[in-house]
Amino acid sequence: MFVLALNSVRHRPGRFVATLLSAFLGAAIVMTFNSLHDTAGARGVDEVSAESMTTAATVVGGYGSLLAFFAVASTLTVNVRGRAEEIRLLRSTGATPAQITWMVVGEAVVVGPVGALLAIAPSMLAGRLLLEMFQDSGQVARDVAYAFGPVALGSGLVVTLSASVGAAFLAVRRATRAASGAGRSGGRARRFAGYGALAAGAASVLSTLALDATDPMAMAPAAYGSILLAAGFAVFSPVLLRAVLGRLARPVEAVAGGSGHLAVHTMRRRAAELSGVLMPLILFTGMATATLYMQAVENDVIRAAGLTRSVDDKNLETLNLVVVGVIVVFSCVMLINSLYAATSFRRREFGQQRLAGATPGQVLGTVGCEGLLLTATGVFFGTVAGLAGILPFTYARTDGIRPGQGFGIWLGIVAVAAAATLVTSLWTARLTLRTPAVDAVAA
Amino acid sequence: MFRRSQQEHSPRAATALRLVSVSKVYGTAQSAVTALDGVTLSLGAGTFTAVMGPSGSGKSTLLQCAAGLDRPDRGRVVVDGEEMTGGTEARLTKFRRQRVGFVFQQYNLLPTLTVAQNTALPLKLAGRRVDQERVREILTQVGLGDRLGHRPDQLSGGQRQRVAIARALVTEPGVVFADEPTGALDTRGAREVLRLLQRAVRVHGRTVVMVTHDPVAASYADTVLFLADGRLAGHLSGPTVDAVAERLAHLGDRVRDDAPTGV
Repeated sequence: MFVLALNSVRHRPGRFVATLLSAFLGAAIVMTFNSLHDTAGARGVDEVSAESMTTAATVVGGYGSLLAFFAVASTLTVNVRGRAEEIRLLRSTGATPAQITWMVVGEAVVVGPVGALLAIAPSMLAGRLLLEMFQDSGQVARDVAYAFGPVALGSGLVVTLSASVGAAFLAVRRATRAASGAGRSGGRARRFAGYGALAAGAASVLSTLALDATDPMAMAPAAYGSILLAAGFAVFSPVLLRAVLGRLARPVEAVAGGSGHLAVHTMRRRAAELSGVLMPLILFTGMATATLYMQAVENDVIRAAGLTRSVDDKNLETLNLVVVGVIVVFSCVMLINSLYAATSFRRREFGQQRLAGATPGQVLGTVGCEGLLLTATGVFFGTVAGLAGILPFTYARTDGIRPGQGFGIWLGIVAVAAAATLVTSLWTARLTLRTPAVDAVAA
Repeated sequence: MFRRSQQEHSPRAATALRLVSVSKVYGTAQSAVTALDGVTLSLGAGTFTAVMGPSGSGKSTLLQCAAGLDRPDRGRVVVDGEEMTGGTEARLTKFRRQRVGFVFQQYNLLPTLTVAQNTALPLKLAGRRVDQERVREILTQVGLGDRLGHRPDQLSGGQRQRVAIARALVTEPGVVFADEPTGALDTRGAREVLRLLQRAVRVHGRTVVMVTHDPVAASYADTVLFLADGRLAGHLSGPTVDAVAERLAHLGDRVRDDAPTGV
């Protein structure tokens, strides 16, 4: 089976691009930050510098590993789902489920480390820049020399390899379970986890109010609360999407005509599948909104108090911004990947719409409508999760409830979310429309 | 049931479908395959025609060119008195949705829409007013009046094909094209579908062109056209199952006789 895996990677490199990209990005972030461990561990580094670097490396490295796992898992799930036909063929020629699993895992074992190896040079460069940034802001002493050592290299390889293998197992298990006709199990566990996340998020957000108002650490529970709420909303995204569609069905149909009609009905039926797209949207909006606004509020508080910002304050800001950056990149990869897959699997459906009398423009209109509705839903619940953290934090740190930052940051976040969603789905749909409708239906 | 509605303005042309020396070649140079070779035919309004021929005789290509799903390389196609001119897919789509209805072997109903929504979809897409009463009426007449809210995956193959027929007729098209409409059905489901198509023609004056390889299905038509190697190879009026089967069996002989010997 490993030979088969090698052949499938060699002859169809295209379908591994998404997995390779996620592994590459994951490894790059993990190695970039973990090289700070190497740098901090060198002889003669003073304590403050070492602490700044170790904190950053630990927090972002941990985040990065987790996100790398999710991103690789999401791309592999999509990859395996797209090969249902090939897997069916293998089964009918006598491959056991274990053999199919080994094939997919084998592919991941090849692709994951390749991504990590490719990421070494960029990580060295990025790590150097990161160190300079820390030095410019005074968080790290000038005389500290950059080092890219065993911790960076080892962690990069271990994280990508284990993420790829773990994600491959998960992806195959899901796919074969679906193929053997077993219903979605784990629905209850999922719901339970969702309620848990919402409850913990609410508790975390509320605990912000009980904290000492002068403590900049008040940001931590508020931020975690927002993240947990966003994750909870993400779990329940099918239900939330249906609720939104129920409200917006009439206005959308009135504005967008036949396209809107199709979009609303199709999405209502596909709500469960669309959660793969909504999840990164909600998480992205929620986390970006919460972190960026809280950081802005924190900066204003310090400035208003006439204080200069300490190394700790700066560390916190750097971390926050980097974490948001990492999340943005990964959410975009996941969003684009699952949306691309979801749209290109609909070739046949688009063909049927065209045969029923939809012009190519109407098909694109339907896809555009769906993209807008998805963005609106994701942004709405992401914003709710973000606000749930921002408001108590602002109340704790300042006198008011509303942060004084205005809508600028939020509009930027929404623009990124909308652009990623609409560009991906419309572009993919356009590609599928190149096939004549009759062939698209037959394929 | 499939009556024309009162608000229709243009009178229906006497000839529902006319093809003049239509040719279609797939592939290029050495690998070129001539699917249609100068086919000329004319079908009157209110007729039920079956097109038959062995695999690769060009019957699907004929249907797709006539229905505006594919563009012929040469020749003219006139549907319901209006010549089909090339242009963008959007233009062809608009042409089709005014004059043509389809029934496919694989139904091609949208899985996310209910029976009633599927039936009304061509009207919605064309921006026409949807008369729910009329949708209900037409579905009742194909025997699915009690299934309006079902989804396609809750129906049997025969029922799905009847929804497809209702959808094809709801726009009151000049010609209904059916591509192996009974190919995926059991005998009972097939019989019901064929009777519905027959009734649409005999009782309500629709025009139906059906591609099939099944002599039983063809025997429901008024006329059978035979196709071999991309050319018309005779026709049969008032077909019976045996007559069609007999003709089909010898279609190959004639082609073989024509071919140069000593292969």
